[in-house]
Amino acid sequence: MASTFHGIETSKRALSTQMALMQTMGHNVANANTDGYSRQRVNISASRPIEALGFTKSNAAGQLGTGVQYDSITRVRDKFLDDQFRNESKDFGSWSVQSDTLNKLEGIINEPSDTGIRTVLDNFWKAWSDLSQNPENVTGRKVVRESAMALADAFNYTDKKLSDLSADLTSNIDAKANQINSLTTAIARLNDVIYRQEGLGDDANDWRDQRDLLTDQLSQIVNIQVTDTPQGYTINMGSTNLVTFDTATETTADALTNGVGSGDISSGEVFGIVTSRDRHVAEYRKQLDSLANTIANGEVQITIPKGSVLPPGTVLNGTPYNGALTSDITVTVQGLNGLQKLGYTLNSPLQTGVDFFTSKDGSPITASNFQLNKIIADDPGRIATSMRSETTAAGEAVVKGNNVLALLTSQLKDTSFKFVSTGSATVVSNGTVDDFFRAVVGQLGVQASEASRNMNNQKSLVDHIASQKMSVSGVSIDEEMSNMIMYQHAYSAAARAMTTFDQVLDKVINNMGIVGR
Amino acid sequence: MSIRVTQGMMTNQLMRNVTKNYNNMNKYQENLSTGRKINKPSDDPVGITYALRYRSELTMNEQYQKNMDSAKSFVEHTDTIMGQINDVLQRASELTVKGVTGTNPQSALDAISAEMGGIFDTLLVLGNDQMNGKFIFNGQKTDQMPYSTGGESTDTQKVNFQSAAGVIIPINITGNEVFGENTDQDNMFTIIKSLQTAFKNGDQSTAVSLMDKLQSRMDKFLDMRSEVGARSNRIDLMDSRLKDLSLNLTDLSSKTEDADMAETIIKLQSQESIYQASLSSGAKIIQPSLLDYLR
Repeated sequence: MASTFHGIETSKRALSTQMALMQTMGHNVANANTDGYSRQRVNISASRPIEALGFTKSNAAGQLGTGVQYDSITRVRDKFLDDQFRNESKDFGSWSVQSDTLNKLEGIINEPSDTGIRTVLDNFWKAWSDLSQNPENVTGRKVVRESAMALADAFNYTDKKLSDLSADLTSNIDAKANQINSLTTAIARLNDVIYRQEGLGDDANDWRDQRDLLTDQLSQIVNIQVTDTPQGYTINMGSTNLVTFDTATETTADALTNGVGSGDISSGEVFGIVTSRDRHVAEYRKQLDSLANTIANGEVQITIPKGSVLPPGTVLNGTPYNGALTSDITVTVQGLNGLQKLGYTLNSPLQTGVDFFTSKDGSPITASNFQLNKIIADDPGRIATSMRSETTAAGEAVVKGNNVLALLTSQLKDTSFKFVSTGSATVVSNGTVDDFFRAVVGQLGVQASEASRNMNNQKSLVDHIASQKMSVSGVSIDEEMSNMIMYQHAYSAAARAMTTFDQVLDKVINNMGIVGR
Repeated sequence: MSIRVTQGMMTNQLMRNVTKNYNNMNKYQENLSTGRKINKPSDDPVGITYALRYRSELTMNEQYQKNMDSAKSFVEHTDTIMGQINDVLQRASELTVKGVTGTNPQSALDAISAEMGGIFDTLLVLGNDQMNGKFIFNGQKTDQMPYSTGGESTDTQKVNFQSAAGVIIPINITGNEVFGENTDQDNMFTIIKSLQTAFKNGDQSTAVSLMDKLQSRMDKFLDMRSEVGARSNRIDLMDSRLKDLSLNLTDLSSKTEDADMAETIIKLQSQESIYQASLSSGAKIIQPSLLDYLR
């Protein structure tokens, strides 16, 4: 037997359930634009029907419904998509940083342009060719000096830019370490909050959304594996643990760099940064060092024409030379520096050439310490252009009009050098200076376009999955509005039902048993 | 794509498309404003290696043309001087013929002898000719005067200019080639000097024997002069080849690097309309929701 007020109770349940539905609708609409928010659904069911208590079953037919109740409010979300998103997101992070760095490298190498290293190099060879027309004069020498200084500047400047870029990347690793720490700390805290909330039997929807959002963000920075345990997310980066329950393990820039080395970090922005710095930037610096060093000291084969008089004591390919050459000889010399030492300067008494390029600090020549020899910078007369001397009354003197060395030098532009390897890979081991530089630029182009292509591909994958996620979890205003109308009507109807019971009771309480009154 | 479409998806999709279209537009805009389709290595990694090669070759080509200009002016100058030497030698030959005819009184021979002395001095001046402060007939010893008495030998080495990658051409001829070595029987200075002496002494028979030597020197001299002419031709040929190459390289470089204006403008315009379409369709899609129709 149902209670007198059973109807009112049923209506009341209806009102509060519809109200919950409407409130959740309001919450959904309010968060339509919230990052990481997943729409929430109120799970409702018919409440337990009445079965009269008694030692025996009552005789009343059927079960009397008691209305509606809501059991839980849950979020609509696909965990599989979360995993996929994080998986693609890490590769996007890695490629976007690499693409960004390679773009910057392109800016530094600055080709094609009229101001890059190639132009400066061309000017250098041109100056030598010019000098070969008038080796007796000082003007052409000054042009060679200036162009050599410009070349040195270009090398120094480019290397400075590269080392700045490298330093930027290093400080970025620091920034990323901080970002990771703040994310993991927040995730650990949310783990705790969610654990406590859900211990009470509720669904901590909004907390979960936040935790997932933070995890998504983390997934772009480093590669992570997320394990959902009853205590919350356990997050690992390779074999390194970042979060367990309410504890986050702090990481540092060093740890991250080591992580890349050990293979723990194989993707994500951090991987991109370290790869950019230690592979791309470092490699281009090495290439540049190799180029600078080779111009100065790289092995190159030249042919010295007959009639040339090599400086006393010259030994080439193990053969000592003395007096004028009776035939052309082909020998290997050590770059521009080696070549200079085979000839004579403009000065008298007879003076042999000096190293053309030296390093600023005495260590092996690199792009950063590359400079024109101070001696030549101070006195362009010390540039050796002649390969011939004669005996005069005053002693041995240079034949100033001999331009053999200047010609040989300007021809180095088209001569194959053996490139000095300064580490990992040299793009070209044998080739002209131009070939080498072109190969460097070409390689940069290939890498940059590959990185940008990969980034774009990865971006569309991430976007696609994000879209799928939104399709599942996103708030549709239209949908919410339709529901709102539905809930509103249900609410009104429940209120109307309650009014009905009210009137019925009114009849019973106020209008019954008053016959004849 | 799933069935459920939400506002967020729409907005994201729209943003993505608008950005993509805007990027494309920016690219064509850049091509148009720089006039180049390769603006950075990644635009065309293969193309850029060619572009850089063409640029370098063009620059060096300019230099080679400059070298050839200098070479040409040097050779032409040499030719002018040799023209003058030729005139002087002709005169010496005429005088000798006149002097050995046998009917000349000693006074006439004295006059011839005096003129021979003048010719000798002129030859000395011509042999010491300088261009831009450099002695043209003294091989590589361009800073030393080759002849002071006429009895010297000159430096014999050539001065070479570079005319192309790995190609050098000599631009000078030496005094020895023009005037003969000092030990030569037909050394120009020696003959003229000897003729002067012979006529002064009225020594007809010596003068006759010298006439043959003069002829042999003149033949060698003319050989040399035609060699200078041939060298001048070679330089001209080289020069026009360099100019052709320059044209060729400019053409290649432009094909590799330059944007096709017509194509780029059309592409830019079509990209512009795509961009505008994406914007306006976006405006239409984003605005309405069920809200607009609920009262």
